[in-house]
Amino acid sequence: MTLEHCLTLGAVLFCIGLLGALTRRNAVVVLFSIEIMLNAANLNFIAFWRFSENPDALHGPLFTLFTIAVAAAEVAVGLALVIAVYRHFKTVDLEQLDTLKEE
Amino acid sequence: MTQEITFWVLAIIAVLGALVAVRRRNLIHGVFALMIFFAALAGLFLLLLAEFIAAVQILVYIGAVGILLLFAIMLTERVTGDDGRRVTARGWFWGLVAAVSVFIFLLLPAIQEADLPESAQSIQPSVKALGHKLMNPYVVTLEVLALLLAASLIGAVAAAQGVREKKEGTNDA
Amino acid sequence: MNLDLIKDILVATVPLLIIFPSLFAFTTWLERKALARIQNRIGPNKVGIPCTRISLFGLGQPAADGIKMIFKEDIVPRGADRLFHLLAPILALIPAMLVLCFLPLDFSFFAFWDEGIAEDIKAVQSFALDGAVIFFFAITGLNTLAIFMAGWASRNKYSLLGGMRAIAQMVSYEIPLVLSAVIVVMYVGSLNAEKIVLAQDTLWFVFTPWGLAAFVIFFIAALAETNRSPFDLPEAESEIIAGYFTEYSGFKFALFFLGEYIAMFAISGLAVVLFLGGSLGPGVTVELVDGAKELESAFAGLPIIWLLAKIFALIAVMIWLRGTLPRLRVDQLMAFAWKFLLPLSILNILVAGFAYFIPQENIGPKVAVWTVSLGILYAAAKGLNSLNRADVKPREYKYAE
Repeated sequence: MTLEHCLTLGAVLFCIGLLGALTRRNAVVVLFSIEIMLNAANLNFIAFWRFSENPDALHGPLFTLFTIAVAAAEVAVGLALVIAVYRHFKTVDLEQLDTLKEE
Repeated sequence: MTQEITFWVLAIIAVLGALVAVRRRNLIHGVFALMIFFAALAGLFLLLLAEFIAAVQILVYIGAVGILLLFAIMLTERVTGDDGRRVTARGWFWGLVAAVSVFIFLLLPAIQEADLPESAQSIQPSVKALGHKLMNPYVVTLEVLALLLAASLIGAVAAAQGVREKKEGTNDA
Repeated sequence: MNLDLIKDILVATVPLLIIFPSLFAFTTWLERKALARIQNRIGPNKVGIPCTRISLFGLGQPAADGIKMIFKEDIVPRGADRLFHLLAPILALIPAMLVLCFLPLDFSFFAFWDEGIAEDIKAVQSFALDGAVIFFFAITGLNTLAIFMAGWASRNKYSLLGGMRAIAQMVSYEIPLVLSAVIVVMYVGSLNAEKIVLAQDTLWFVFTPWGLAAFVIFFIAALAETNRSPFDLPEAESEIIAGYFTEYSGFKFALFFLGEYIAMFAISGLAVVLFLGGSLGPGVTVELVDGAKELESAFAGLPIIWLLAKIFALIAVMIWLRGTLPRLRVDQLMAFAWKFLLPLSILNILVAGFAYFIPQENIGPKVAVWTVSLGILYAAAKGLNSLNRADVKPREYKYAE
């Protein structure tokens, strides 16, 4: 279990999240994918901290803690917006939410 | 040796969970796969000796964010995906190309050409040290985070409730 | 995999797997008898030793129930999601049994049988996780997931409704639960369960004013977390049939039942460790060994006897409350959590914080601080209570003319 393995895993997970965010039609699935990307970034932080020269500075866990909190806040607001959009447009299908598009 | 096996098992579970979560038509199955992904990631954090972060990951992501996603799915449409519509958007091929090329051309070279440290030092995981650091250098960040969470809570409730008409006084339990 | 690892795994898990399910069987009997007596009837008294006519006050009833549940037909509704229908009871059981590892159970009574095993057990059990308390809360939160899975997979309106209400209830009551545990963690300065027990050698935390308030809040929130009466709306038999486990029969129902009771044990165990002194009691003292505090007992096995006795006392109180208090309605439940318990627990943290930092060396300041904090907490409880009181006017009786 070297640092390279952890980072590669983080990269793979990030790209899976990116795939989900770019390909799916449903807004909630796009939110899932953003969570996957954020978690992959957290994995990177912890891996770098573990293999760093000064682990007592605890930069890895601290940053991850803040990221987790911010991600939770963002998911809450994002889902509230999705619910509000659903209430107005009666759909969460991203392909049908195109009222801002020019004709 | 056991560390290697555990790492590979957790890594495979995480990748499979993430893949199922982004590809599955049935959203509830997707959310549960996502929770398996979060749990595998918590296991990886434990393996990397960040035990407090593993506990927080389970507490926040599985216990709160996952439940929030489930509720949001309940409140919107197309939950079980029994219809015949396509799951992917119109430009899905280019999305796939973008994701794969980000991996192959951006991230992999960055990892392989970086000068990474070889071995890990021994760490004594301690929650007390984390608490000290949160209070001493990083207290402002902590307070700002608290403000952010309060603001997002109020904003989320306001956004989800919508415009109240004069007659109805709906009160969600 | 070497043999030592397998031996360690067995040593760490088998005692738990033997002791707690047998305690569960005894508790089901106790509950049925106690509820029956409270309700002025007798309860099970026919089943004693099988194949004989000796009925030892119905003590064989748990065995009979177990055999019945195993042999019942397993019915899965036609439209149900089969995978989740199967997974939900398993997922309800796993967190409950997993959190039992974090309690400081001391199995050194095995020394009666074999010294070697006692040493091995001590070596494995003394893996005191540094963040035990927060892992406890994290894993207890997984119960909500199992309940949602059960409610969703049954494809039944009432199951889904019960499941949603159960999740709302459990998520709301997690916050006072964690906040009242924060007080103890603040006083001890560690999240380690063993250190928390050792820090209570002079005085159990329940005997301090903020500890008492925290214990009461924790206990109420624990009742709500395990869906026990008076918070058992999700599984109320008289209202929503059986809520989220309506469509479960046979062994899966038994697994849910087992999971619920073991969750009760686990949370009572945490309440005992945090507030009631864990394994401490007459005969078990804390000595300074090589500068570090350690638990010494009169004979091996006394610490775990005290721990289990205290857990059983709390379980008895839970059964008592089930028999006597009426059920809360769902909006009353949520209002109670968010408008009463949450402000009270935050105020409790503030009061405990002030009391921690005011120097209380002599008896005078100590009495003053304690009375003031007791007064503040009592006034707050009364104030919040009157703020939340529903506007009910006195009843107008209409009589027939």
